[in-house]
Amino acid sequence: MNDNMPLISVKNLCKEFDGKRVLNDISVDIYKGDVVCVLGPSGSGKSTFLRCLNRLEEPTGGHILFEGTDICDPSTNINIHRQKMGMVFQQFNLFPHMTIMKNLTIAPMKLQNVPESEARSYALELLNKVGLADRADDYPSQLSGGQQQRIAIVRALCMKPDVMLFDEPTSALDPEMVGEVLGVMKNLAKDDMTMVVVTHEMGFAREVASRVMFLDGGDFIEENTPDKFFTNPQNDRLKSFLSKVL
Amino acid sequence: MNLQSLREEFVLNFIEDNRWQYLTRGLATTLKITLFAAIIGIVLGFLVAIVRTTHENTGKAKIANAICGLYLTIIRGTPVLVQLLILYFVIFASVRIDKTLTAIIAFGINSGAYQAEIFRSGIQSVPRGQLEAGRSLGFSYKQTIWTVIMPQAIRNVIPALCNEFIALMKETSIAGYIALEDLTKGGDIIRSRTYSAFMPYIAVALIYLVLVLILTRVEKSIERRLKKSER
Repeated sequence: MNDNMPLISVKNLCKEFDGKRVLNDISVDIYKGDVVCVLGPSGSGKSTFLRCLNRLEEPTGGHILFEGTDICDPSTNINIHRQKMGMVFQQFNLFPHMTIMKNLTIAPMKLQNVPESEARSYALELLNKVGLADRADDYPSQLSGGQQQRIAIVRALCMKPDVMLFDEPTSALDPEMVGEVLGVMKNLAKDDMTMVVVTHEMGFAREVASRVMFLDGGDFIEENTPDKFFTNPQNDRLKSFLSKVL
Repeated sequence: MNLQSLREEFVLNFIEDNRWQYLTRGLATTLKITLFAAIIGIVLGFLVAIVRTTHENTGKAKIANAICGLYLTIIRGTPVLVQLLILYFVIFASVRIDKTLTAIIAFGINSGAYQAEIFRSGIQSVPRGQLEAGRSLGFSYKQTIWTVIMPQAIRNVIPALCNEFIALMKETSIAGYIALEDLTKGGDIIRSRTYSAFMPYIAVALIYLVLVLILTRVEKSIERRLKKSER
């Protein structure tokens, strides 16, 4: 794959729920190292867009090329490609019946045949980075929301993904825990991870994103660098959105 | 009833002609039917629950789902006694198979329908996000069900499942309708020999009660152990 090729290329993506159009013919290219923040009012289709990228939501039309493969093609084994697309959910979704260590190692061991010792040491290395190495043997319910979300990020990272998808990762957190999760995401961005982030954290978008996109009514109606996006918005709907949230 | 006559009743009903053996042999039959019917029920119930939830989650397995739906409707819509009689006198009418085996099959098929709904509710009680988290890591639907959903689902259904086993054990007391000598029938035979109903039936009732108490104990200890592993 050459460097000029997009990592994810979304072509004419459509999604309907019971005849109601949620995504309306979206096309966008995401390149390696991009940190894309997707903003928009609630119900605009942000989460649906993100969940279509790894087909947790089945698109009703269009194509998504991931590393050159059309993952919407029925003959594509989506499970293989999902291993390279980490996902972080609003509700963390850690496995409550497994210890933190098991949460982190089960997928690499079962899906990538990584030996247990190797999976554990890599998990510990990442746990150290997020400051939770001492919690490896605890169960998720023993951790705070912010800690659980940091673990959820690490769980996705343990698969060594090429892109990370974040679906409102801080929306379910107490305000005082938002910072620690955003901190981990900032470090990820610094390490050149490709990220697509659906968020309401304007500060994060402004500071960390390389591209900010505004989704409304099922389509991206404005995209820009964070600076221009926030200081000089062009579209009227974006202007009114920003005036309400900033 | 004074003490003297109580003693005489006891001797008459249990000691003379070794009549206590009707109870012990009956107990053995009751336990055998319950155990094997429970096992058949677990297997059937589990399979049906998997088919039904797979259909609900993915829309696949249409025909299998329809068959399972029919099974649940018929079994839950008719009395277990009628099912037992039909199985023995109609379906197995020409092939005289062992009565105990007939009862095991009948109660197994019956319990399977109820266990299917228990397992299904257990699977549904696991938040959808768990399935999505498993799938997003790259696990297939099947792998996610086995490694992520099932362990949580089974934990959730233990109380309801134990309840079903208790109900099943007591339901087997109708096995006498096909002249099978289970615990209840054992007490009944004693009464028919001694023309004294009090002692045999009370003894039968007490034995069922003790069995249920033991099952309840087992349930509690399983629950405690599961709780510990989750903290």
